[in-house]
Parts: sequence; C-alpha cells; structure tokens
Amino acid sequence: MSLLEVKGLTVRFGGLVALDGVDVALGEGETLGVIGPNGSGKTTLFNTLTGLYAAAAGEVLFLGQRLSGLETHAIARRGIARTFQSSRLCLELSVFDNILIGMHAHRRTGLLDSLLRRDRLRSEMSQAIERAAHLLSLFNPALPRRGLERVGQLPQIDRRRVEICRALASQPRLVLLDEPSAGMSPEETAQLMKDLQIVREEMPGLSVMVIEHDMFVIEGVSQRVVALSYGRKIAEGSFAAVSARDEVREAYLGGEAARA
Amino acid sequence: MLLVWLAEAVVFALIVAGILAERPLALAAAGVAIVVAGALLRFVAPLRSALVCAFALHPTAALLGGAALALVLPLALRSSPYWTFVATLALLYVTIGQGLNLQIGTAGVINLAGAAFAGLGGYSVGLLTVGAGWPSWLAVAAAPWVAVAVGALLFVPILKTRGHYLALVTIAFVFIFNILMNNLEFTGGPQGIKNIPTLRLGGYAFTARPTLGVVELPAHANFYYAALATAFLATGILRRLHDSWLGLALNTLRDDEIAARCCGVSIAREKLIAFSIGNFFIGLGGALYAVMVGFVSPPDFDFGYSLIMLSVIIIGGVDSIGGVVLGACLLVPLPERFRFLHEYRLLLYGLVIVVMLLFRPRGLWPAGIRRYR
Amino acid sequence: MPPLELLLQQTLNGVMLGVMYALIAVGFTLFFGVLDVIHFSHGDIFMLGAFVGLSTLLGLALVGLRTPLLALPPAFAVAVLVTGLVGVGAERVCVKPLARSSPLMTLLATLSLGLVLRESVLIFYPRGADPKPFPQLLPAGGFEVGGVAVRYENLTILAIGFAAMIGVDLVIRRTRMGAAIRAVAQDPEAAQMMGVNLDRTVDATFFLGSGLAAVAGMLSGFYYGEIHFIMGITGGVIGFSAAAIGGLGNVYGAIVGGLLFGVLQTTAAALIPRGSEFRDVVAFAVVMLFLIFKPSGILGEKSVERV
Repeated sequence: MSLLEVKGLTVRFGGLVALDGVDVALGEGETLGVIGPNGSGKTTLFNTLTGLYAAAAGEVLFLGQRLSGLETHAIARRGIARTFQSSRLCLELSVFDNILIGMHAHRRTGLLDSLLRRDRLRSEMSQAIERAAHLLSLFNPALPRRGLERVGQLPQIDRRRVEICRALASQPRLVLLDEPSAGMSPEETAQLMKDLQIVREEMPGLSVMVIEHDMFVIEGVSQRVVALSYGRKIAEGSFAAVSARDEVREAYLGGEAARA
Repeated sequence: MLLVWLAEAVVFALIVAGILAERPLALAAAGVAIVVAGALLRFVAPLRSALVCAFALHPTAALLGGAALALVLPLALRSSPYWTFVATLALLYVTIGQGLNLQIGTAGVINLAGAAFAGLGGYSVGLLTVGAGWPSWLAVAAAPWVAVAVGALLFVPILKTRGHYLALVTIAFVFIFNILMNNLEFTGGPQGIKNIPTLRLGGYAFTARPTLGVVELPAHANFYYAALATAFLATGILRRLHDSWLGLALNTLRDDEIAARCCGVSIAREKLIAFSIGNFFIGLGGALYAVMVGFVSPPDFDFGYSLIMLSVIIIGGVDSIGGVVLGACLLVPLPERFRFLHEYRLLLYGLVIVVMLLFRPRGLWPAGIRRYR
Repeated sequence: MPPLELLLQQTLNGVMLGVMYALIAVGFTLFFGVLDVIHFSHGDIFMLGAFVGLSTLLGLALVGLRTPLLALPPAFAVAVLVTGLVGVGAERVCVKPLARSSPLMTLLATLSLGLVLRESVLIFYPRGADPKPFPQLLPAGGFEVGGVAVRYENLTILAIGFAAMIGVDLVIRRTRMGAAIRAVAQDPEAAQMMGVNLDRTVDATFFLGSGLAAVAGMLSGFYYGEIHFIMGITGGVIGFSAAAIGGLGNVYGAIVGGLLFGVLQTTAAALIPRGSEFRDVVAFAVVMLFLIFKPSGILGEKSVERV
C-alpha cells in the first residue's frame, strides 16, 4: 500500500481550474520530484494536500485514510509537514523556537503542567532542544550554537535549513518541500542538495515530495518525477524519461521551441 | 548578590524620595539624585555591565529583593494614603497589563476592548454585591469569570477577523458596552453603581487601618497588599505560560498563521485560550478596582482606558512580561507626581507612545528570547 | 410597525448622516488604497476640520463677514487646506515611517496620534472641554412632501456633501494625480517604475482624504448645531466601519457604506424601543456581523492574501 494516494484531485478558483484530475501516488521512503512551469499547479497541489485549499473533486488518501475535510493542523498532526517557497519562519523568534514549534503536536505537558509542574515542562523542553540541536547539526555543525539567536540574523541558506528542521521536527511520514532552492546561488543550491541527501540517509523511511525549478536538483534527489502543466499531469516516470517527453519540453519551452 | 540588593535599595530610595519630597529643595535634591543615577547607569559602562551581570547571575536574589521592597513600600509611604492608593492602582494595571499583553503582545489578538473587560469585572462586583447581596470576596472571585464568559461573544470575530478589522470589532465592543452601561436600568445608567461594600476576609474589613507592631498604615495599604499579591500571581502565571508550549504557539501564530497551522497548531484553540486567560486577568483587575473605590460608572471604563492599558504594554515592551510591570509602574504614578502635568496626562501618553513606536518599538524592556528555564 | 412616513423621514435623515460618514470613509479607504494602512487618527482629523472651520467662521464674523455667501467659501477653503496639511503631517510623522513594520505598529501609532490631536483641542482650544455652538449659516425653513419634512438646511448639507464626493471622483478619475493614486493603489512598485512619485502621491492622497474629513466636520457642525472635541472618536469608528462595510480600498464602496450606516442608525432609532439611545448598539452590532461574514465588504477589498 502506498503512503499517499491522490486520485482525480481537482481544485478551482472561481472559473479557473488550478488542478484538473491529478493522480499521484507515493510509497514509503520514496522521493518524488514535481516539475512544471509557473502556474502549472505545483504549489496548489501542496496547498491542497496540507488542507489550505479545499478540493472541488477527487480524494487524498494518506496512510489509507481520507484527508478531505480535515483542517490544516489536523493534517499536519497525521504526519505531513512542509516548507514554503518564500520562507515562512518567524524571524523575531529564536532558531530553537522555530524548530520547537514543529514538535508542538507531540507535546506531553499541558497548561497546568506549565504552571504547576515546571520540572516536567523543563525536562520536556530540554529534550526538545537537544533534538532540535541534533537536527541542526546534521546540516551545519555550527548552527546549534546559534540556537538562541533570532532567525532573522541567520544567512539565507541557514534559514532554509531551519525551515527544513522545523518540518522534520514533527516526525512526519511525508515532507513537502516547495522549491527549496528558491533565491539561492548555485553554490548554495549545491549545498542544499547535499543537505537533502543527508536527510535521505538519516531518515530512510521518510517520504519526500519536492517542487523544483532547478532540474539539477530534481535529477539529483528524486527517484521519480511528475510533470504538471495547466493543472494536469502530463508525464510521470524517471527523470530521464520525463524530461525527454515532448509534452514536457513543450510545456517548459513553449510550442515553437519544442518543434524546432 | 549584594550588588543586586544594593542597586534595588538605591532605586527604591530614589523612588520613595521622588514621591514624598514636598519642599522645593527636597524635590530638587531627589530630582538631581535620580538624574545622576540615570546618567551613571547610562554613561559609566563598567557600572552598567557589572549590574547587568549581577542581575543575570542572581535572578532569585533580585526577585526576593524586589518582593521585600514591594512589601515595605507602604511603610515608606505611610504618611500619604493618596500615594498608597496610586501605588495600588499601578499594581492593578500590572495585573490588567499582563492579561492584555498575553492577547496583544504574545498572540497578536488586538484587543482594544480592555476597558470593557475591566468594566465587566467591575460591574459584576457591583451587581453581585449591591444587587444580589453576595459578600465582596465572593463577588471578586466570580467577576473575572463573567469577563471570560462575555468575552466568548467575541470568539467568532477573533477567529474570523485579523489586524485592523479585529481592532475595529473590539472598539465597537467597547462602545456597545459603554452605551449599554449608560442606558440600562439595572446597571444604574450614567450614575453607575454606588456603595459597593469593601472586601472582608474572615471578619477583617479592608477599611480598617492595619497596624504592624507600632506602625499604623493607611487603610489603602490593605488593598495595596491584595493588589500586590494579585499582580505577583498574575506576573508569575503569565511568565510561566509565556515560557511554555502555549507561549511558543501563540508567538508563532502571531507572526505567521499559515506556518503555525502547517506545524499542527490549532489556531482557534490557542487563540481562544489566550483571549480567555487574558480577559480573566483584565476582569480581575477591574473587580479589585471596584471594591477598592467602592463604585463603578461608565466613564471609568471608556475607550480612553483601553488606550492607557495599551500604553502600559507599548512603553514596557510588547510581549515582555517584565516590560508590563515596568510600564505600569512608570505610567500610572508619573502623571500623579507631576500634578501640573495631570491635565496633559493623556496628551503626554499619546506623544510618548508615538515617540516610542518610532524610535524604540520594542519598548523600554524588550521581550527576550525564550530560554525554557 | 411605524407608519411609512416615519420610515421615509428616517431614511432621509439617514442619508443626511450617511453623507457625512461617507466623506470620512472615503479618506480611510483612500489611505488604505495607497499605503495598506488604517489611519486611526482620521476621526480626530475630522474633528479638527470642524474646529478649524469654526475658528475661521468666528474670525470672519469678527471682520464683519457674516453672510453665508461671503463666509462659507473661505471657511470651507481654510478648513480643507489646514486640515489637509495636518493630515499630510500625520502621515509623514506616524504612518509612512511605520508602513513597512507590522500593521499593529501603525495601528497603535495612529490611535495614539488621535489621542494627541483630541487632547490638544481639549487643552489648547479656549474652554475646549465644552461643546461649541456652531454658527447656523445654512438657509432655514423647509417644506413637506407626503408627510416627510424636508429642511432647506438639510438639502444644502446634502448638496455640499454630494458635490464634494463628485469632486473627489473627478480628481481620482480625471487628473494626473488621480491616475497616480489609482496606480499606486494597484501596485506601488509598478507605479514607481512607470515614473509615479510615490511620496508625492501619498501626500496628495492624505491631503485629499483629510480635506474631505474637514468638509464632513463642518457639515456635522451645521447639522448638529454644535461640535465637541470628543466627536472624532465616534466619527472615526463610524467612518472606518463604513469603509470596511464597503470594502477597504474601494472609494464607491466607502460611499455606499457610509450611506448604509447612516440609514441603519436612523431606522434602528425609529424601529426599536428607546431607539435613540440604542441605535449605535444596533449599528455597531451590524458592523461586527458584517466583518465576520463578509470581511471583504460589499464591493470587495482590493487585495487578496497569497500563500
């Protein structure tokens, strides 16, 4: 049984069809690349999977259960975490704060504990911080020492890492990465690819869906690729096979260029 | 540790001297002393860093010292019932400010109806005692829950609206509250509710003048200690909540709701908890105010007071627990000290807030980084 | 059910009030359009307009200009000019510098600025705490149509109000500055690239909006016969409510919202017992419902959030 099964997913904004009967399946431990030109519905797919948008038709099965109608936070608690194209970190909060919020769903101490049984909260929090530090050190051994600085003081690449750590902190089964290389230099992108490979090695059971414009990254990290265009799935398969398809090249380059 | 206590004692002495100095010469001396102390702190870097270091190393000692001085303050002010009253008022604003800060500062739920929730606390005490004949202490204990319950009326707008729309909704709420209080029969209309009986605990009336050994204190000292205990409790509770999962979740959803939702945070749950806890403390402050002054009327709880409560938070530091204490202890007594400024009080509040927002938006005591200790 | 005449009468009164509200609301909506901020001290700018108008009228009376035709045009001109400039000043001090920080900051700063304006009038205007009688310069008398009393004074207020709105509409649709305002409202960066001077456009918008508030302030003086330093709080809340009902950033929405709010108030006053006291409760309750169920207003807000 696959971890995630998307069947005939359709999303409309007024008259515009943003996703049109998309089928995607994803197995445990698999990394799926999602490609397609701007406006092809990639981010809409992620937003619908995480419950930010409502689907007009079709269904999403995660671990065999339907996700439709669930609120975003409930979906997150079932084990889907994500990052965003333009980073959504809280720049005024500390690095640890930003990662710890990912563990919020797994907290074991309630309001009364935080008031009356401070020791419980403290020991839980120190474990959480240890875990956050461990996640950070996977990517950059210097980062845990900056855990109590505000995220706004970190460089771009480290911010992206913090965001990935936040997603991983929730112990998800599936992580959705929305264009992690956006706004990065070629060197940073290469670094990011290494980071993603570290994630793969450290968490072999984790499934990943990654949207990317950088074909180099897609080729490097994904085992399978899905191509979207105007809200439809136009190709699926290995990177080599998909990128060789005429429809894909046409979608990316426009009709003329593909025929030429 | 000694340095911490010494510093606190000096501040305490300066405050008391500043408050009590009557004759021009004494006043001038106190003023000069305060200015010199401030300048020393500002320009003598070694002194400053030594103090910062000492306070960081001995937080418990600092807290104990502060508590001890707060306990003896009425003794120092015993010649002046008026100043005991003002100090009590400042402590009530600490309680109210902590509640409001959880809503506005920590959760970003812009509540400009603080005056209405304090009013709900105050009016509840009035109605329960004068109207229903409850004992005062029971009414004070029940009143905050009324504020929480009525606050539930705003649950839907809190979840559905944000930013300036929520501000508008809460402003509309204060207006509605005020019009109703002014015009309903059972709340006494514009006259409000008079003759609210004072607090009595185990036969001890709060109007009696307490004596400590040979020293007799003004009657307001009773309320001072009640307000001090409440403010201390409120600050402790809010500090603990701030440094917990709740505070973290609220800060996150304040800065980015979508990110918080995608991390599994239920916006509705966390916001409503924060809003209700906040209203509890705001209502509690209003309730204590009502038993202290013995009456409530609509102008005591109009929109202007929402703005004063807000100033406490901004001057102290948005989302800063210590800032609320500092803000209340500065903002409430200062205009009372300079009576000639009293007329200009609100004008100055307004100017100070604008200047603060432009040049020091994090306040005098900026919120620090959560350390989970 | 009250008789039809009463309802008609209340609707007419509502439109009267609504015109003033609309003039305030247009300011809110214009400011939101160009800077995405709510200028909470706008209500007190409206109050200030009334006081400037009053002072000018009193000054003119001192030099012997007491006839409406001679006194009104300069009084309106001075009120619009001074208030407009104060509005620009408020924007430069409190709104623009904070436009890039969180919306909470602008909200708090402008709320406090409103407090400063209000208290300044209270303290520095002679006997500022008292309501000030406003000279009655508009034509008296009136006539009756089908049981509805129409007063010339009210007709004049309506005429001035609508003239001001048409004037704004012309400025926005027909002038270069209006085109710049519209461009900035749509997309500030693109507008700047097309050669629009952002600072000047924002200044012009605040001048325009604040000037309209001054007109509203004077009309309200004529309507109620007196003005009070406290009038800006309710004026501001109602104006903002009207703009929100209409959809922030939408000028026509603000006008519709203002009229709607006025009619709502007066019909509530007529329909419910002790209505004159509780009319604002009803009106504000309706605004709250509006914000909850139709937060983008009748005619739609200008922007949508992207994920």
